Amino acid sequence: MSPATTDHGGKGAMTATDIQIAICGSAGDGTIAAGNILRNALATAGYRVISFDVYPPEIRGFGKCISRLRITTEQAYSLKEKSDCLISLDDSHTIPHVGEVRDFGAVIFEAKPVAQVPEGGHITAHVRPGQIPYGFSIREISEQATSSNRSRNVVALAIMAGLFGLDKGPFRQTIDSTFGKKNKKVAEVNLDAFETGYAVGAATFKLDSVKFGPPGKSVRQGKVTILSGNAATVRGLLDAGIDCYFGYPITPATSIMERLAVEMPKRGKRLLQTEDEISAIAATVGAGYAGARAATATSGPGLALMMEMLGLGTIAEVPAVVLVSQRGGPSTGMPTKTEQSDLNAAVYGSHGDSPRIVIAPTNVEGCYRCAGKAFEMAEAYQTPVIVLLDLYLSNRYETVVLANEAPFNPDCNKRWRRTERDEVYRRFAASDDQISARAIPGDEGGMHVVTGLEHNELGRPNDTPEIHTAMSVKRHDKLKAALRHPDFTICKRFGDDGPIDVGLLGWGSTFGECLEAMFMARAEGIRCAAMKVVMLSPFPADPVAEFMDDCKAVLVPELNFQGQFARLVQAELARPVVPLAKVSCGPMRVEDIVEEIRRLAAQVHQPLAAE
Amino acid sequence: MTIQPKPVYLDEKLDEVRQSGRLDYRSKALPTWCPGCGYFAMVESLTAVLNRMQLPHKDTVIVSGIGCASRFPFFISTYGIHTLHGRALPVATGIKMANDRLHVIVVGGDGDGFAIGGGHVPHAARRNVDITYLLFDNGVYGLTKGQTSPTSVLGFRTSTSPYENPDRPLNPLLMVLSHGASWVGQAYAGKPDHLTEMIAAAVAHRGFSYLNILSPCVTFDKTERTYSNLGLQVADLPANHDSTNVAMAMAAAMRTDHPLLGLYYKEDRPTLNENLDSLAAKAGAGTPAAGKKPVRAA
Repeated sequence: MSPATTDHGGKGAMTATDIQIAICGSAGDGTIAAGNILRNALATAGYRVISFDVYPPEIRGFGKCISRLRITTEQAYSLKEKSDCLISLDDSHTIPHVGEVRDFGAVIFEAKPVAQVPEGGHITAHVRPGQIPYGFSIREISEQATSSNRSRNVVALAIMAGLFGLDKGPFRQTIDSTFGKKNKKVAEVNLDAFETGYAVGAATFKLDSVKFGPPGKSVRQGKVTILSGNAATVRGLLDAGIDCYFGYPITPATSIMERLAVEMPKRGKRLLQTEDEISAIAATVGAGYAGARAATATSGPGLALMMEMLGLGTIAEVPAVVLVSQRGGPSTGMPTKTEQSDLNAAVYGSHGDSPRIVIAPTNVEGCYRCAGKAFEMAEAYQTPVIVLLDLYLSNRYETVVLANEAPFNPDCNKRWRRTERDEVYRRFAASDDQISARAIPGDEGGMHVVTGLEHNELGRPNDTPEIHTAMSVKRHDKLKAALRHPDFTICKRFGDDGPIDVGLLGWGSTFGECLEAMFMARAEGIRCAAMKVVMLSPFPADPVAEFMDDCKAVLVPELNFQGQFARLVQAELARPVVPLAKVSCGPMRVEDIVEEIRRLAAQVHQPLAAE
Repeated sequence: MTIQPKPVYLDEKLDEVRQSGRLDYRSKALPTWCPGCGYFAMVESLTAVLNRMQLPHKDTVIVSGIGCASRFPFFISTYGIHTLHGRALPVATGIKMANDRLHVIVVGGDGDGFAIGGGHVPHAARRNVDITYLLFDNGVYGLTKGQTSPTSVLGFRTSTSPYENPDRPLNPLLMVLSHGASWVGQAYAGKPDHLTEMIAAAVAHRGFSYLNILSPCVTFDKTERTYSNLGLQVADLPANHDSTNVAMAMAAAMRTDHPLLGLYYKEDRPTLNENLDSLAAKAGAGTPAAGKKPVRAA
């Protein structure tokens, strides 16, 4: 996942690039498209990029779209509070965001609006002292170059590229491959728009202090690529040898199915769009029972519908992988806003005592690993596995380094083989690790019935207290082995070693912000460390407790109202933590975490001064 | 009940059953149904069919939901999965998609299939999943001790409709026909030989085959679907019935006062797995999606 080093003293050398660009417009302006081109061009050029788009749920209309990209030479973990450059494609939407541009940062905007602008309606009235405004006739340049104003987004991007002296090559390459797919003519028109805009930008006298350094070199072996969380998840599923996929469209998980629908048939694998999430998980369990590596992906509302079948997976001991990309809830909630509020449902959901494995990646590379490892775990421990993503992780892009060889074991089954002709197969036979050898349909001599009823070793219905107790122990104890699953990081500590003042316990997409906050706090002289917890169930009690032993205070930042992870930690370890639970409809602000770290650091240093 | 032409002795019958080999398809578990239940006929017929077709135990999976009928897998010696109330069809779809070589037979009752699981029937039918669905239709919830089901007749009195059932019964045959099932038939538990032939034809069909099996619940229905009532009501499909004509099949399915037994409709069209494989071929996959399906013995 993240680099193994723990000595993140600073953010690399002073000459290193760390620039954030925001593009803002109205739905239909091509804002997200411009962000995509910029992201791919800069990744092609060799920079590391993290990007995240915010857009309205409506397909067409007047909603606000913002694409933010952070471009660095060293690995970064989240977006920054302040942008270095803001490009406006629609002033009315961009004006509220002018404040996010840093001092001596650049604001690029349309200098010649087509219609009368009411007083205060133009962005020039809002650019603050210290920010550098650049007005260009973006529309006119687009019309001159392409006889149309539809290339405004590319022109604005090109002006920025010219202004900052970025290499043209990767942009041309990206534009060509983006538009060339549809139509060579469209690609040519946009290349013309790019050249014209670039010349204008390059000829502009630069007053801002935004400086791109040369791109860094990849230090690790492997394929460097830029992927969204969902795309990385799909790669993980494919590299781990997914056989069957069943799904029902739901934001923000849909793109997992869309990508698989392209890729799986090419590999001769089967994908089915089911009639609902109940049938999606039912078919996943059915295919898992029949020995396939099967998965489904959904979001909170779908997870709620899957709960009963997850319980069948637990009691019948059937492998199944469920990817859950969380969004704001409850109910339909906020389909296009990120949140981490399905932890309780994932860990505790379904009726009865129904344990399962729940893992939550913290970055895009983690999505790849968790998706693939989920198949290994589902097979090895004969259980449903939930991979908890969220909209911020599913939709954000990061440059990632993937190993050349898929790092997944293609078969983790503990298979039963008949040794004697009359041997009676015991599907749920007791064993040291509580995992029974499995026969699957097609295996000679292994005929048996699995059931959602409580059952004995043979799988026959049995509701005696002895059997129910023994089977409950089996179902819970067998999962503990997952905490030692080979080649998988269940949790990991970053930052200062030894005793520390404020420790951060983070999970899921918010952990990037935790790391950034930790770096800032340490730069201020606070002894700080952060631990990411990837495996949420079974809970890695020992390493987390060990980490908490070192901490005077433990802060748990997460994006939900109840502080669901904080409660989980407190329930598992019976120790106090300080929750930082936000429902801000977007990623956690790094500054909010740092502020809380400062407050706690002050408290632990003056324990008696508190009233 | 028809009168036997000559007496049948138990020991002779037992010998005949043992020699037939169909007990090989019975598990060691004894059925838990009430004495006289129509479901016993289903176990006899299905084991006879499995034996006649010599389907390998290891390649046969019985899938069920919840209900009296859904206890079925426990009494058969093949693979079996006893799933959730109403969810047998999507589980079976997953099994069949995972492995073409498996013969997948779904068994369930009217409540399981047409109340809680009703949303899955249209999709299994239209996709032509290559499975056999044996629906034991007794018009009452037996396992929960006698409540109204979606196929209970109007006016039926149960513990949940103590005055009378005000809801029109659902017509399973009409429903599966309208959703594109490629094989639709009806049988009656009181006519076991015909039932056996129908199950054999349903299992032999390549695609989604639906067999509606009328069956009395001797414990919770003493007034409506009794052996004596059903025995008088049922009739064979007319000799001129054209089983390739879906409109004719639908018209026959509307004859609920006199349920007609036989093959309503049969159509030969690609199955779900075949369709997915041709998609794979279009997408450029080098090899077929899974192992080649063996041709079934009829």
